[in-house]
Order: sequence, then C-alpha cells, then structure tokens
Amino acid sequence: MPIPINIPVRAAATTAPKKTVFRPRPEDAPEDLRAKALELEAEGEWIVQRVPEPWIEVSTKYGRVKKVPLQHTWHHKSCGQCGHIPGYSTSIFWLHRKLGLEYKDPRDQTSCTAWNYYASATSNSAAQAAVAMRNFAAAYQTGYYPQIHCATSYGHYKEVRAELCHHKPLRDQVREILRKMDRPFVIPEEIVHYSEWVYAVRHEIAKRKVLDLSSITATVHPACHYYKLVQEDAIYDPDVYGGQRTAIVTGVVEALGARVGDYSTWFDCCGFGFRHILVQRDFTRSFAVQRKIETMRDEVNPDVTLTHDTGCVTTLDKSQFAGQAHRGATAAIPVMSESQFCALAMGAHPYRVCQLHWHAADYRPLLEKMGIDWRERWREFEDDLERLRKDSGKVMTWDDVDAEPVAAAHPAHLAHGGR
Amino acid sequence: MAGETVLVIGGGPAGLEAARGVADLGYRTVLVEARDHLGGTPIAASYAALTHGMRDAGEVMGEMAAAVTGHPLVDVRLGTRVVACAGAVGEFAVTLERRGARETVAAGAIVVATGFDHFDPGRATQQYGYYQYPDVITLQDAEAMLKAKRFVRPSTGEPPGRVGFIQCVGSRDRHIGNEYCSKVCCGIASKQAIEIRQLLPACRVFIFYIDMRMYGYWENEIYWPAQERYKVAYVKGVVSEITVKGERLLVRGEDTTMNRPMEVPMDVVILSNGMEPSRGTREIAPILGLRQNKYGFVETPHDALDPVATSVPGIFVAGAAAGPKDLDDTIGMAGAAALKAVAAVRRAAGATPAGAVPA
Repeated sequence: MPIPINIPVRAAATTAPKKTVFRPRPEDAPEDLRAKALELEAEGEWIVQRVPEPWIEVSTKYGRVKKVPLQHTWHHKSCGQCGHIPGYSTSIFWLHRKLGLEYKDPRDQTSCTAWNYYASATSNSAAQAAVAMRNFAAAYQTGYYPQIHCATSYGHYKEVRAELCHHKPLRDQVREILRKMDRPFVIPEEIVHYSEWVYAVRHEIAKRKVLDLSSITATVHPACHYYKLVQEDAIYDPDVYGGQRTAIVTGVVEALGARVGDYSTWFDCCGFGFRHILVQRDFTRSFAVQRKIETMRDEVNPDVTLTHDTGCVTTLDKSQFAGQAHRGATAAIPVMSESQFCALAMGAHPYRVCQLHWHAADYRPLLEKMGIDWRERWREFEDDLERLRKDSGKVMTWDDVDAEPVAAAHPAHLAHGGR
Repeated sequence: MAGETVLVIGGGPAGLEAARGVADLGYRTVLVEARDHLGGTPIAASYAALTHGMRDAGEVMGEMAAAVTGHPLVDVRLGTRVVACAGAVGEFAVTLERRGARETVAAGAIVVATGFDHFDPGRATQQYGYYQYPDVITLQDAEAMLKAKRFVRPSTGEPPGRVGFIQCVGSRDRHIGNEYCSKVCCGIASKQAIEIRQLLPACRVFIFYIDMRMYGYWENEIYWPAQERYKVAYVKGVVSEITVKGERLLVRGEDTTMNRPMEVPMDVVILSNGMEPSRGTREIAPILGLRQNKYGFVETPHDALDPVATSVPGIFVAGAAAGPKDLDDTIGMAGAAALKAVAAVRRAAGATPAGAVPA
C-alpha cells in the first residue's frame, strides 16, 4: 500500500502532437570557429584571409550565414579527380569560364594527405595542419581565395581549423613550420567547397542551360565528408528535405529542372570508407553496389546519380563492374559530379570538357535522353586525338574545347559504329 | 520583504516542490512560471505514468500544484518571465514581465528550476528520419498516446504489430556534443514498453540499446518485469539508420551480441531522446549571472556533494536546470534548495543557527 501524498488531485491540461516541421535554431549550433579565428587574428596569432567580394550568402545547418565567393578563387584541386575523373575539375573550370567568373588554377598545390589520415594510415596533427596551412598560405600569396574541390580536403581542413583554434601549442608549432618555409600564417575566413559555389550560382547555371532536363531523374549521394564533418558548416535549406538533409547538389538539380529521386540509403557512405578502399576493397565494392546503386535502382531507377566528391564518384561508378562480374548483371547507373551535369546542361562537350570516357558505368543512354548526340561528340573527340597525335607535345586547350564542331566524320569512327 | 521571500523560477516538479518546501518552512514564496499552467514538462508534454512508481503524471502534478496554489505563503505568477535581476543575497531585486507589464519584486534568495527540453531529433540524427516518417516518434510523442490510452501508428491510426525503441538519441553522443547520459530514457523506454504491451498484448516490442542504465529500484520495478512478464525484447546494438520497406519501417544496424548486421521491420519506432537545457535555463542563466557548464546547464560546485548551489551566493538550482536528472534527483534537490534558500535568507537577515555564538 503506497503512502499517499497528502494533497488534492488535479488533471493534466494539454496534449503534445508530434512535431512535423523542423526549425533550426542558431543557438543550437556549436561554437562558431570563424568568429574564433577572427578573435585570434585580433590577438596577433594569425591572418584571416577575407572572402573577396562579390559573395553569395547561403544558409548553413543551424541557420547561420556562410559567404561563398563568386570569383577570384584559387582552385585547390583533388588528387583523385585529377587522376581518375579529370572531367570533374575541368567542368568546374568550364562553368567558371562560361559564367565569366575569374579564377586561378595553381601549379604549386600539395596533396592534403587526409585520405591516409582518415584511413588511420599516416601522419599526425602537426603535419596535417602544416599541409593545410601551407596550401592556405600559397593561395593567400597569390591574392586569390581558396575554393576546395575535394570534400575530404574540405572536411579535413575544417577539422584542422578547429584544432588550430583550440590548441595554442599546435598553432605555435605550425606557425614555426610555416616560418621556415617563408610562408605567412593565414587561415581563410570561410572554408569553401566547390559544390557550395555551384549551389550559390545554380540559378545562373539554370538560366544558361540549353537542354530540357524535365525527363531526367537523378538520385543524389551527399558526401560524408561534406556534411558529417563539422556539420554545422554545411548548406541546408528548410525547403529541401525539410531542412533534414544538406541541400547541396539536390538544390542544384531542382534548379536545373530535373527530378530528384529519393532513396532510403541516402545517409550511407558510398562505400569508399577510406580504410576499406585500402585494405578491404571487396567490402567497398559490395557496399557500393548493394547498399547504394542497387537500392537506387530498385527504389527510383534513376537516369543518373550525382554526387560532389572524388571518392564518391569513383566508388559508385567504378564499383559497378563487381556486380556484373559476380552475378552477370549490373544496375548500370551513370555516376558523375553535379559540376559535370551542370556543364552538360549548359552545352559542354561530354568528352572534351566532362571527359565521360573516363567513367565506367554506361552514360550513353543518359546523354541520349538529355538530347546529346554522343556519337557525333565522340567523333569530334577522336578527331582531336588524331590531331594531337600528329603534333607531338601538343595538349588540348580551352580553344580546342570551345572550337566549333568539324563537319567531316572520322573514318575510324564510322568503322566501329560510333563507339 | 526581501528578507522573508524566496523567488522560485519554474513551475515544474522542482519548482513546485521547492516552493512548497520554502512555504512549509514559514517563508514567503513567489513562484514564477512562463507557461500559463503549473506542472512543467510532465503536463506540457502530456506524460502518462511517471517513472518509477507508474503513478499517473497528471494526477501527481495536480497534487503538487494544488499544494502551492492553496498555500497562503505562495504567490503564483503564471505567464511570467524573469527579465532582469540586481542586488545580492538577502536583497535581490528581480524584474518580472507579464504580457508586457513589468514589476520588480524583492527576494532574499532565488531557486532556479527551469528544467530541460527534449532533444529534437531534427537537429542531428537525421538518419532516423523523425521528420521524414510519421511513424518515427519520440518518447514524448509516445507518452501523449499512452496518456490517451490509444497507441497507434500515426500514419494509419491502426494499432502497431511491432514497436522498436532506439536508445541514446541525442545522449552519450560525442559527435553532437551531448556526451552525457540523460539518465531517464532507459527507464522511460522500458516503462513505455510495458504500457504498450498492456494496451496491445499482441504487439511485439523491442528496445535497441548500447547498455541499459537502470538506477536503484528501476532494475526490479521496470527492467525485469519488462522482460519476464511483458516479454519485451532487448537487443544490444547500434542502429545506423531507419528506412522504409513496403508498408513498414526498417531498422538497420548492428547486433553487437550476435556480431552481425541486422534489419528489423517495425510499424513504429520510438526515439529515446534525451535532455538538453531548456530555453528557460539558457535564458535565465545570463540574466542571473550564473555560470553554465559546457552543455548550457547551470553549473554547481559538485554534482554529488553540493548539487544545488550555483556560482552566485543566494541563488540555488533544482532539477534538470542543473543537468540531466530523474524525478528522484529532482524532488530531492528541490527540498535541499528550499532548505538552503531559507538558510541563506535567514543568514542574510542576521539570524544565527540555534546554539551558535554570534561573532
């Protein structure tokens, strides 16, 4: 028998239905490292490189504003893009050129070394931070502002910024390393990924598109290192997935007038996994095919899947052979970056610019659906190659890219039916 | 008079108990509550039965509210917020605001009892799809249905056949900064699991957990009955995401006991979301000049040995304003805060403890 509480009884007053709309609150955001960086600048610890005007303001996860510079950017390229999918970075440059936005393609950038860092394979915090600050210094010395192509470099540099902001001994150690290299100790006001720039200019791209994409369905794979590291700095929009997923890429696809197909394993890694791709590659292949590609096919059957990072494009694209090898069947969903998709939409050459011949999954049905005559474009590209072979030392230039199509068909092209 | 009054901020369990305690010790209490009703989160969020003891939350909070509303020494101010504070122990001047009208009251001591907010799964943990799937709900959503004695799939209005709880949502999560355990979620999930089985005997109920934290009597009152009498299945593992398969939700993750991946279909998934500092706690701390810990809760000198003092002499804290607390902690802290607040008022007024020799 319980001992009664000796006071009168009153009933409950209200009910609480499930919340259905998420409202981000800036006060929920973790510490603003940008403000911390400025405080440290005021104390003489380092230089903060300001975002050059003009910039576009975008909203991040908790409603804070992030400044994305439109031009005068120093392009921190991606090892994997340059090595495996060169049309990725070429498309980014092409978009800048077509939008009339100035940029710098530097020759003295180093690898960020973050892949091995995340694979627990190498390095330490001072070495990591020194590499990051070395690249930031290189950008600063040119007067251009860093725009980072690789989501791993981008995420890693933001983690490095947090370590440097919070750990004075590390700052002192790295500053001394930079001094020995005769470099300034400088951190950018905002750390900006190229896909944030694409998002910021998506409406300008949409204005210039020359293809009707309304019949195209795309699935989007958001890159883990974009929005799972330092998540408060990623772009979110209450009108995209109710503010529950990053709006990056998806906002671009919607602006272009294509359909975004949703699938259940959107949150999963592409399979790259950093350590897995190095030491457990079969797991990577299985994961990419079974958890991502086949799920997309079964739930959406998209014409293309778009993402915004090096590892994601390569893993999702180049793992698709595994399903075919083991089971004689493949989902065959073409994979590319949203920068390549934007460039195609604006009329870029699929081979000279987007370099889709480096991609493994069959992209040709997509091009046909988009209204691109890939046979004719391939003929032009083969003609380019023939010309370059005849002139040793010659490389393809922006003039070649912008050249008008040559009418005459290459004989070899005709001989093998355009493939 | 300031020297005879204690201001209590917050009309939930901690504030009600502190106000009652101060009044029972013979001192005036001004009880300030921002909402238009007393009872705090148990009433505002429609809690069903309280953990532990399983008494009806509305009934218990009604009893606690009646104890102060009927007390001649308690002055209850509903719909009122504290907007400014000046002075020190023995002579605080606190500005209250109600519907735009301001008033300054004098108080010798203050008790902060501004409670907690439920972690919003939309802020992080989006992989569980709280805002995406209507059948993914939180503990307080489930409480509201259990209170109404009608537990259904929100998407269909039909009774569910399978319900799963996911523990530690927004708690013990270094990634989002909430490293602490919210203390009550394991007990509440187990309590709700029992209530669901009582309402829907054919429904299978699962709890996915990192480890179950059952304090004191919760072990024998809730945890073992849930398993032995109500056949709730406890699955040790980490849920990575919730997706949809056909008409049902699919809980995906790793069963760490069996050391293998799992995919378990569910009709309803309940996220055992933890505690965070309430809006009231976040607002009142800077107004009163209280030091906050890194999570935003009011900091105390020592959680165990001096759990109700704050960084400001004469201001005390009770309940979840000071961190994740269960009801046992809350009521105990409220009593201690009332005692210490009255002692501070008396000391400031020049009284000496019985038997002590004045200096």
